[in-house]
Amino acid sequence: MKPFPLLALGLAASLALAGCKIVKNEPEGEKAIAADASGDDARTAQRIADTFESKLLPLVNDTALPLPDLRKALAGGLDAAGKAHGNRGAGAGAAWNFAVKGEGKVVSAKLDSRARWIGLDTDGDNQQDVTVQLGPVIKGSAMRDIAAFYNFDDFRDQIEFAKLGRAINDELSKRISVPDGDLTGRTVRFTGVVPLKKADEEFTVTPSKIEVLP
Amino acid sequence: MKLNRILLASALALSVAWVAPGLAVAADTIAIITPSHDNPFFKAEADGAAAKAKELGYETMVLVHDDDANKQSELFDSAIAAGVKAIVLDNAGADASVSAVQKAKDAGIPSFLIDREITATGVAVSQIVSNNYQGAQLGAEKFVELMGEGGQYAELLGKESDTNAGIRSQGYHDVIDQYPDLKMVAQQTANWSQTEAYAVMESMLQANPEIKGVISGNDTMAMGAWAALEAAGRKDVIVVGFDGSNDVRDSILAGGIKATVLQPAYSQAQLAVTQADKYLKGGSTGLDEKQLMDCVLIDDSNASKLETFALSN
Repeated sequence: MKPFPLLALGLAASLALAGCKIVKNEPEGEKAIAADASGDDARTAQRIADTFESKLLPLVNDTALPLPDLRKALAGGLDAAGKAHGNRGAGAGAAWNFAVKGEGKVVSAKLDSRARWIGLDTDGDNQQDVTVQLGPVIKGSAMRDIAAFYNFDDFRDQIEFAKLGRAINDELSKRISVPDGDLTGRTVRFTGVVPLKKADEEFTVTPSKIEVLP
Repeated sequence: MKLNRILLASALALSVAWVAPGLAVAADTIAIITPSHDNPFFKAEADGAAAKAKELGYETMVLVHDDDANKQSELFDSAIAAGVKAIVLDNAGADASVSAVQKAKDAGIPSFLIDREITATGVAVSQIVSNNYQGAQLGAEKFVELMGEGGQYAELLGKESDTNAGIRSQGYHDVIDQYPDLKMVAQQTANWSQTEAYAVMESMLQANPEIKGVISGNDTMAMGAWAALEAAGRKDVIVVGFDGSNDVRDSILAGGIKATVLQPAYSQAQLAVTQADKYLKGGSTGLDEKQLMDCVLIDDSNASKLETFALSN
């Protein structure tokens, strides 16, 4: 009775060993990512690893226009401002996206939401003129669409493209930290991206950097 | 021979405008093939394409496949036999349509796809589709806001063979699932159909009387759901649709359905014809095959500006 199971075990072990060898011969870390939807998460993670810290954040933080400069540029029309300073999202009717930086006083806020935001007065008239998203739910795809190196043609379809947008927003969300409690009256300094479909639309910033000054 | 005759007869019966195949050359005809015009969205597509084709000097051959891939394949045979110069198509299934479009390509007839993608590239010349995912995110963001970020809701799904059914649902959930207090208690297909949606909504309501909101994959299903909710005295339920139809516009303005997402169907179809014309004359559209068009949220603030799947300023 005994030798038979042992033999089977031995056989199984040698089969398993043979299997090991094959795996071992594959170059490590170069497993092909499936081209269909099953590979989306892996591909998205790879894109984030390759670009978020090294290309995307520097792009926004280094090229951000001071708010008054953006407003001045927009006075000459959205398309002209966009061509000079922005990047347009994929597709007809998509917004122009602008990297901007500025600071303002908090004059309104919605903090009891999963999609928190604060309203800032950036020109000293006590009126809200900029909204800054604080997450954890970040709306839109401005931070993806500011970057020309994320090109829709490189993606299988709109789902894969959208997954990158969501992953970028999740990364941003992780980095946003503001003090608890009422922020009204505090000064906030931000860098981020504003998507615009009209030149006179109110600015809603998806932030790459945000700092509540003491 | 006999088969051909049947195909031609069926195509003839379906066509609104038709150039007789017996004539020597069907001089510069564009075939416009869409799902049934019972859904005003597809009628707007066909109307938009036909108007632009006429403007550019083409005859049109307008056909409907009723979301039946076999029928679509027959219509392609008819269009090829009739010698059309180009085909504008809103297809009957992402996988099943590839062979039909390939068949036309092999016969030297370029296809220009609108609304729905197919699962292959390099077969059609253009695939111009609404950014359904972006649109669904817009609709879902509004839905979440209307729901106060919490409560029970149901989802009506579109026809499974249509890629947009899945894309919209994913777009909805991409946003909604970030709100843990929103609980989906029912999710069912109503196949884009108003009558099916009515029945599905009735049974969903019976099983889940606490439902506070319904998010629907398109406007016809939203209309069906709203009718069922009205009949049950549940006009408090928040309904959000997708497409931007005049029916839903009127419902929004009357305080019924709360929001929808406009797909620019009319201008999208016109764009396809413009590209077909450019391709036929110059051998290229000068554009990428896959092209997206952004969707626009419609609620009580802008519904009055909506007319036949186009928003005026």
